[in-house]
Amino acid sequence: MTTVVLPPQTGSARTAEPLIEVRNLRVTFPSSNGEPKEVLKGIDLAVQPGEIVGLVGESGAGKTTMARSILGLPPPPGRISAGEVLFEGRQILKLSEPELRGLRGRRLSVVVPNPRAELNPLLTVGRQIASMARIHLNVGSQEAQKMALQILRDVQIPDPERRLNAYPHELSGGMAQRVVIAMALICNPAFVISDDATSGLDVTVQAQILDLLAKLAADQGSAMLFITRDVGITAHFCSRTAVLYSGEIMEMASREDLFLRPAHPYTLMLLAAFSHSPTLRESWSVPDTGVRRQTRAGCQYAQRCPIAQPVCRAERPAFAEIAPGHFARCHFPVRPA
Amino acid sequence: MSVLFYLGKRLVFVVPQLLGIVLVSFLLVKSIPGDPAVLMLGPTATPSAIAALQQQLGLDQPLYTQFLIYVRDLLHGDLGTSWQTTRPVLEDLVQRFPATLELVTYSLVLAILIGVTLGVYAARNPSGWVARVTDFYGISAGALPDFWFALVLIFIFYTVLGWAPAPLGRIDMIVLPPMPVTGALTIDSLLAGDFEAFKSACAHLVLPVLTLGLLNAGPILKMTQSTMEKMLEADFSRYEVLCGVPQRLVVRHALRNALPSIVTIISVLYGFLIGGAVLVEIVFSWGGAGQYAVQGVLNSDIYPVLGFVLFSAVFSLVVYIVVDLIYFLLDPRITN
Repeated sequence: MTTVVLPPQTGSARTAEPLIEVRNLRVTFPSSNGEPKEVLKGIDLAVQPGEIVGLVGESGAGKTTMARSILGLPPPPGRISAGEVLFEGRQILKLSEPELRGLRGRRLSVVVPNPRAELNPLLTVGRQIASMARIHLNVGSQEAQKMALQILRDVQIPDPERRLNAYPHELSGGMAQRVVIAMALICNPAFVISDDATSGLDVTVQAQILDLLAKLAADQGSAMLFITRDVGITAHFCSRTAVLYSGEIMEMASREDLFLRPAHPYTLMLLAAFSHSPTLRESWSVPDTGVRRQTRAGCQYAQRCPIAQPVCRAERPAFAEIAPGHFARCHFPVRPA
Repeated sequence: MSVLFYLGKRLVFVVPQLLGIVLVSFLLVKSIPGDPAVLMLGPTATPSAIAALQQQLGLDQPLYTQFLIYVRDLLHGDLGTSWQTTRPVLEDLVQRFPATLELVTYSLVLAILIGVTLGVYAARNPSGWVARVTDFYGISAGALPDFWFALVLIFIFYTVLGWAPAPLGRIDMIVLPPMPVTGALTIDSLLAGDFEAFKSACAHLVLPVLTLGLLNAGPILKMTQSTMEKMLEADFSRYEVLCGVPQRLVVRHALRNALPSIVTIISVLYGFLIGGAVLVEIVFSWGGAGQYAVQGVLNSDIYPVLGFVLFSAVFSLVVYIVVDLIYFLLDPRITN
């Protein structure tokens, strides 16, 4: 096993140097007409140490592709066609397979959705958690077992001693989710990606688990990328949020800016969809026409946008800073009234 | 607890299963044209002598009476007598069945070694050269007739190179076979501490085992390859990669998940080979049970055939029960 030389742990304070920086990340999938389909269209995103950043988007926006591509594993048959990922000053996508293995699960980890399918059905939960410690931290099996028990306590699984010997099929969805969180956190990673982690759970369990995840990450000083379909969740947990639509970041802003002064029509639509005000919902909720033609030239959102102009279909808008720290990709960003 | 309950349930069903198998094979064997009385007495027999022998053998009775008599004898441990060897079928089979079993077991072990190893390698790298070789191998192994392949091996290794012993039985004629304990010569000779016999028995096993092993590795290989490919693409394998688990370990875990399918195909092959090895037995004058049964079919000697069917059926049922127990060990999800 290769040992990864770790830079000294920086505190949770903001530093000038981002912990992880995604630059112009492009992922393509082969398609039946021969022309590869671009699923991520040049993503730029930086996360500071200890920061929690949200990434919201509807199904098919490219959220999971994003989560996995950051670790160099786009969902097959996808391929990273361009871009770079800088993590602790290293080019992740250029590392060798063993070097990458040393990072995955160790310094960078993912909390996956639907964990009962993701856990190995034939191995006990305890063994799967402990194996993370054994593989990455080079500890003996007894020590690993102890760490597994401790992390199960940390994720507040009831009766953790007994759960160590449980198989994945014997767990409820919520417990399995906690197990996956335990696996993601046991090695004390610098960066955790939560990929729509609670999508299959009911709302009360969701809230508990997300609270727990955010708290544990904060305790460890880990930075997080919080990927979700629910803007409400990002409002709750994230200091900054990026809105992903059809493989592009449409808007990125601090919590206050995004929720009080949204600029992109799509963001408005998303917020309206979650709104309690029927008038707001009606005026902004544009039904998905199901049209997903790749209008490469123009704005990806033009077909659904209620205020689209001819220029939107012709020209791709730039990702412009419309206010300090507030970016939007729109020809006609909505100005606060 | 649940395992024992399950086992008990399976054993209860063994008796009706066997009865059904005996009934069907009895009817099938009886429907083969040919009168044993005529064959036994030869071309010069008078009609009255034939009629007398038919009566003596019970052949003049209606079919269901004959069946009932056969089942009654079975319950007393009497499998009938072969008119060709003039010995009780049970004695013949006790002697010959282990010969077949020994051959088939070693062949299967070889087939598993080849099939699982190549299958795993091919699945790890579906576009690599191992995968291409295994594709070709899988197709050709299924297409080659085993007796022909046996003859090719004999020609090369016995006739031309002289490395293998003559394809005449299980042990050199000048070597005294060991005291039968299990019936398998390799085991019996070791038990007797007779290394001369052991060496000779092994040497005689090489070519038939190569024949059956190489040709029957095909289905195991295909099953291993396809199941492993599926398991390596499964969510849990991807998740392990995402967690930085080394590839060696990912493959090992995937193989464990693929084992039930592999074990299934192995058990099916095991049962099949007991009778399916007969052509190879004949080529190597193996004197096994398959050869014995075919002689019976050809000469209207029905009791060896029925006895063979019964032995194979019991063997297959045992194999399937063992396989079910293996499933229990492999997969924690089937404890209920």
